Amino acid sequence: MKTCYNFKFRTAYRKLLLLLVLGILTSGISAQKISVSGTVKDDKAGVSMPGVTVMEKGTTNGVLTDNLGKFTISILKSATLSFTYVGYASQEVQINGKTNLTIMLQEKAQSLNEVIVVGYSSQKKVDVTGAISVVEMKKIATQSLSSGNVMQALQGNIPGLYIEKSGNPSGASASVLIRGVNTLGDTHPLYIIDGVPTTRPEVFASLNPSTIESIQVLKDASASSIYGSRAANGVIIVTTKTSSKGGAKFNITYNTNVSILSEKSERYKMLSSLERGKVLWQASVNDHTDPTAGYGDIYTFNWNHDYNNPILTSVTVNPYVGGDKNMPAGNTDWQAATYKTGYVTNNDFTVSGGSDDAFVLANFGYIKNTGILKYTNYDRYSGKLNANFKLFNGRLKLGVNSQFSNSNETNACQDIGSAWTPGLAIGLAPTIPLYGLNGIYGGPEGGGYSDRNNPVLMQYANRWDNTANTGIFGNAYGELKIIDNLVFRSSVGLDYNAYNQKNIEPTISNGSVNRTDNSLTISTTNYSSLTFTNTLSYNFKLGKSKFEILAGTEAINTTSNSVISTAHGFSVETEAYFVLGAASGQRTTDGSATGSSLLSQFGKIGYNFNDKYLASVTVRRDGSSRFGTNNQYGIFPAATLGWKINNESFMKDISEISNLKLRVGYGEVGNQSIGDVAHYGLFQSRYGPTSNTYIPDFFGQYYNIGTAYDINGANTGTLPSGFVSIQAANASLKWETTKETNLGVDFGFFNNKLIGSFDYFTRTTDNILIQPPVASAVGEGQLQWVNGATKDNRGWEFSLAYSDKLENGLSYGISTNFGASKDKITKLPEEVRSAYAGNAEQSILGHSQYAIFGYIVDGIFQNQAQVDAAPKQVGAGVGRLIYKDLNKDGVIDSKDQEFFGTTLPKLEYGVRINLAYKNFDLAIFGSGVAGRIGQDPYIGDDLFVQSRDNAGPGTLNAWTPTNSGSSIPAVTLSNNNNEQRVSNYMFRNNSYFKIRNLQFGYSLPAQIIKKLGMSQLRVYFQGENLFWFTPKGYIGSDPERTNTSQIPVPTTYSFGVSVNF
Amino acid sequence: MAVVLITSCKKDFLNYQPQGSLTAADVSTPANADALVIAAYAGIANDEMIGPITSMWVYGSVRADDAYKGGGGTGDVSEINKIEQYNLTVPDMGSDWMLPRTWTDYYKAISRINFALGAINSFDVAKYANKVESQAELRFLRAHCYFMLKRIFNNVPYIDETMSKDQILKTSNNLTNEAMWNKIGDDFQFAITNLPETQTQKGRANKNAAISYLAKVRLYQAYEQDAKHNVTNINATRLQQVVDLTASVIGKYSLEPDYANNFLDGYDNGVESIFAAQFSLADGTTSGRASWVFGLNSPSGTPLYGCCGFHVASQNMVNAFKTDANGLPMFDTFNNSDMIKSSDFTTNTVDPRIDHTVGIPGHPFKYRTDMIYQAGWARDVGTYGFFGNMKEQQAPDCACYFKMGPFMGTSKNLDFIRYSDVLLMRAEALIELGRQDEALPLINQVRARAKASTGRLKNANGSSPSNYLIGLYANGVNISWTQANARKALRFERRLEFGMEGSRFFDLVRWGVAAETLNAYLQVEKQKRDFLTFAVFTKGRDEYYPIPQREINFTKNLYVQNPGY
Repeated sequence: MKTCYNFKFRTAYRKLLLLLVLGILTSGISAQKISVSGTVKDDKAGVSMPGVTVMEKGTTNGVLTDNLGKFTISILKSATLSFTYVGYASQEVQINGKTNLTIMLQEKAQSLNEVIVVGYSSQKKVDVTGAISVVEMKKIATQSLSSGNVMQALQGNIPGLYIEKSGNPSGASASVLIRGVNTLGDTHPLYIIDGVPTTRPEVFASLNPSTIESIQVLKDASASSIYGSRAANGVIIVTTKTSSKGGAKFNITYNTNVSILSEKSERYKMLSSLERGKVLWQASVNDHTDPTAGYGDIYTFNWNHDYNNPILTSVTVNPYVGGDKNMPAGNTDWQAATYKTGYVTNNDFTVSGGSDDAFVLANFGYIKNTGILKYTNYDRYSGKLNANFKLFNGRLKLGVNSQFSNSNETNACQDIGSAWTPGLAIGLAPTIPLYGLNGIYGGPEGGGYSDRNNPVLMQYANRWDNTANTGIFGNAYGELKIIDNLVFRSSVGLDYNAYNQKNIEPTISNGSVNRTDNSLTISTTNYSSLTFTNTLSYNFKLGKSKFEILAGTEAINTTSNSVISTAHGFSVETEAYFVLGAASGQRTTDGSATGSSLLSQFGKIGYNFNDKYLASVTVRRDGSSRFGTNNQYGIFPAATLGWKINNESFMKDISEISNLKLRVGYGEVGNQSIGDVAHYGLFQSRYGPTSNTYIPDFFGQYYNIGTAYDINGANTGTLPSGFVSIQAANASLKWETTKETNLGVDFGFFNNKLIGSFDYFTRTTDNILIQPPVASAVGEGQLQWVNGATKDNRGWEFSLAYSDKLENGLSYGISTNFGASKDKITKLPEEVRSAYAGNAEQSILGHSQYAIFGYIVDGIFQNQAQVDAAPKQVGAGVGRLIYKDLNKDGVIDSKDQEFFGTTLPKLEYGVRINLAYKNFDLAIFGSGVAGRIGQDPYIGDDLFVQSRDNAGPGTLNAWTPTNSGSSIPAVTLSNNNNEQRVSNYMFRNNSYFKIRNLQFGYSLPAQIIKKLGMSQLRVYFQGENLFWFTPKGYIGSDPERTNTSQIPVPTTYSFGVSVNF
Repeated sequence: MAVVLITSCKKDFLNYQPQGSLTAADVSTPANADALVIAAYAGIANDEMIGPITSMWVYGSVRADDAYKGGGGTGDVSEINKIEQYNLTVPDMGSDWMLPRTWTDYYKAISRINFALGAINSFDVAKYANKVESQAELRFLRAHCYFMLKRIFNNVPYIDETMSKDQILKTSNNLTNEAMWNKIGDDFQFAITNLPETQTQKGRANKNAAISYLAKVRLYQAYEQDAKHNVTNINATRLQQVVDLTASVIGKYSLEPDYANNFLDGYDNGVESIFAAQFSLADGTTSGRASWVFGLNSPSGTPLYGCCGFHVASQNMVNAFKTDANGLPMFDTFNNSDMIKSSDFTTNTVDPRIDHTVGIPGHPFKYRTDMIYQAGWARDVGTYGFFGNMKEQQAPDCACYFKMGPFMGTSKNLDFIRYSDVLLMRAEALIELGRQDEALPLINQVRARAKASTGRLKNANGSSPSNYLIGLYANGVNISWTQANARKALRFERRLEFGMEGSRFFDLVRWGVAAETLNAYLQVEKQKRDFLTFAVFTKGRDEYYPIPQREINFTKNLYVQNPGY
């Protein structure tokens, strides 16, 4: 396979070389000329414009205007000069012998003429016929600096693009979804960065905003279909800068940003030491157990010992934890103890420029995040080098786009019992002090405590842990204009990442929860994906018809190799001593390798008649190593039509309408997001792994699933080992296919002051790839990937923006976006039914894939008579939740469940307001979701007492005979009624609207900074994740905080400076 | 150009060979036959702390009158609390911990066995000389799995090596008791016929293990049950089979001279061990192929051990070790007073097995005079008292221990059948056949060994932690050895000999006395332990566990739920 690949490269470039020689032979000869000079100015401000490109039309002869906007060019007498500058309408002037010109360039009202990349080719935005959103980089560039991840700044900005953040110092996104979820497996969109595909979001995250030329989100299948089998989750196309803006010789940009991070608004309110004592007393007497027996080590309860009429006179906290005189009981706010203020500094420096024939961009970025969770941190160095050269009168373009990054991260860690520190910071009992008297960390001792560790100690003990990622991404390409309008492009792209994780587990002494052994685990994964793309494009005109034709091939080969080594027994616990070779104890090594390949052919025909009627057809054929021999190839066609109504003659007089375009598209895309070897029936020799090796899970660490056995009864030594089935075969496994129809309209009114677009889509996903659970009797390793359900998804997206400039100089803009979608499972083969919510009687058919299936709560039992009269419910009792007998059979069991809502929002929306006056600018941005339910983690913490962990103040207001109006069930430690089962009590409306970003900026006047040699100097203040609105009855701190094992997303305040030279 | 070239070699390009994996055909070769057998052995020992398949401490001990769940309150691993409380046990307990995992893990083991059998059945003896013996070992393992499943769930689907996936998914759990016992019996019979008397590799099943296990099957089979789990008849033919089968094992094994040896490192595969799951450490695996099934059960309040303080002796269990003036168990009066205070263990006389079975405050733990069990070692004294379990533990410095995270794993074997079980099974069959006189010496043999097992039970100063007095039964001297008394003696002896080893609940169900015994136990015990206040054993339902709801869902109601659930 490898040799075959190399061979291809060699041959391709041999051909290229040949064509190069041909190019030299056909280069032209120059003629007689006159000299023309002039000045170019902005038509509104009247200021002269440096850097405007002045070209003799039809030739490659051109110059740039100087600092005073002046130019001199030698041209043919009868020539036409063109003047172009980004953001301005170009102008053409017939010379007719004139030798001195004053040109007034008009700024473009909106970026409608901008050219965007749409899949192996580019297109004017006005001619786009698919559902494509273009990100306005200007608006989000500074916002992305505080997290070091442009993706985070996109949150809420693009209709149909749903982003969940994480609070990790790396700024990684928890989830990125385009037009909802269409599949059961991997939901990552496909990123195309400078033509090179990757599904790793961290590649995108490591791009510095100042190097990004444009970002497009391809949402519908007609737009993304040309990316074929990997495009089902949508495509995000990123183009980095490869040419000089406005032709300036050099452009230097420097951005610096300092942010302060705080998680205070994300905290959960938890009980104090004394309050916890009261709740534990109440829960114990409710259960008819002696509170002193359970919690006498922590509390002294003074009560009447009458379970039927319990009265608590007083509760006091015993002075010492577990009677340890060095460990006085505390009233610890573990969240305050575990978190601190974090700081982010981000510096991004770019130099770019050159001539029209040679361009270089060099970028260097460094971000450091000190973390909000103690002892966490993140830093990343990134560099980018883009260079390209045009040779032979522009016939040949050769270039390289490259990106390097190196990051180091120390993240949240787990305690000895594998509990995550962010969770411990919420749940650890408040009576444990952070430190004891002698400065050692407090921990659980004596009865009544969980076997959990002090989270601050655990973070400290893991402070040497490090996850390093080194990535190289980019491509080398050549573009040859074989004849005019016929271009051959060849690109070799690399996506490489080396992952190195060092996990040091030192000995821990923490109350009674200790670790006596120490160990070091080094995990490395080398991931590499090579993409070889060749395209041939030809554009031509026939009368009023314009054609764009593209054909191409692509070969992608991906490999990933992992090695995990662990050694135990380090005699000294210093960071420097923890290397594998220094261990004196047991060592183990494990490793794995996987890979896949994809081979594709694709083509596209674009047609434009008279700039009124647009059409395109694309088709892609993909072969994937991931599918069985029966279905190795898939074909993905798409077609679109567009009608630019505003260019019709009957619209000429309607001056209010500056742009109106109808679009319709149909496309098919695939999904191959399954394991690399999913279609094989596989056996493995699994010498000694635990289940945790394959499915990370705490108890999985203690579950041997190996094939080795001590048949000799020796208790040690090398064991004989056998084989076990790990996967059942399915040679018929094939693509999951999404078919989508999109109807859209783009409009612009009043000289494009009001612009917007509306899209309606319906999509059907067939043959959804799924690995359904199966009856255990079938046996071990018999799960099988199959093509299962069909689902329908329909929705709409709407964006509307208005911007204007008032006489007094105030310019303002309001933009909104809305995205709604609804999914439904429409076909569900028997064999996959078990993979979805439901039971033997009810299936998810007709419901959303994210529908919640559970019990319906119908109040609280107020008295024994009510319990006795109610349908038989195991665990029923006074003060307990009543579950509805939905099937009216007199028994509450698994049949009494129904579908009652979905966790995916029905509507997502965002609003942005921009104001600018003179040199000041202000932007406010907010977004939200509506129409979803969810199980906020705080519901469990706040409403239910935990026997070993702390609870929230909701438990203080729980049902008792004297507080019978409460909607919170009586506190109980035994939870016989299983009240945290899936029900509408646990899943509640958790919609929200959030002010995500508020920014205030000031640009220093041009006269002042000019003296410093700058063209722009802007300072700004920014706040992020500021405040939010939640529905009545919402319990929690932030609806976006859905996982308490993770660091919450902080509120961020930033100060930044951006300078252009 | 390049387009053409790519197409020309696409076949190779798209053919990605899985790395580090094999196909069914690759592994189904005579050369790999024994490896498949080894994988099957591994299967019967691949259990989970939250889905046990070796130790029955949850299903056989906590569910009975031997022990409480323990741990930190009733909500700590609440699945076991629901099992302990009987009337909270439902087909879907809200998680897949315990019963659903146990079910799944047995079928994982069965599938390894059936795959190996399917492959080996097709081999020519000329190519694989060990064919029949391998088949016999595999069928032994399969019978073991179904025996365990039958005791827990009663009605389970019987899957063998001839079935395709489709057939498996159409197989219900509706075999009659007799048919199921006979299928298990047939596998053991095949093993008896084809296995050698001894194996050089001690982990392998041999002929005598198969005989002993078949005796156990026949003993269970003898107590015929109706659909409501009532014992309707005790089948004399089956009892006679027990007598005949055990006869051929008598004398081929012996009791360990000290009862303690059975629960100590260094005595794996000893003279008393008939069939055991093998475990190992420092064997090149990630964390040792250790047994973690007792992971939750370490004494809790001491840094010497690991987590959680689960599986603690009930007050009833402790009291059961009391002996009368003759050193005999107090069948009907043992529970009239409690042994709690340390003086209670010296003012009363007790069977020495108490200090091998129960952690008692003030007594040396695990025979270590420098390590005294303390009340604080119990996790939740208020709910579950302060007695601990001891058989499942080793001294903390044992080389057989490996602590990972909060839990202790061990290389100590787990015995499925000990020789003392064979003696008592034989005695039970004889008593039910009315030949109680022949049973007397068998029971006394077990008691004599217990009596001799005080050598390790010493305080630092050489004194005994408890006042041991254990006598042998002498007909007409200290007991009238009628069938009824012999039955009482036998049943009490099984309880003491296998205290907290996970046999008790299954014994009670076999004898058909679970409901009366356990409800009587609860009546008294709930006075001492509030958490049992609402516990009730429902006759005709709680003798067996519910079929996990998810399995019924997966088979679209093909499986029939057990009565009452």
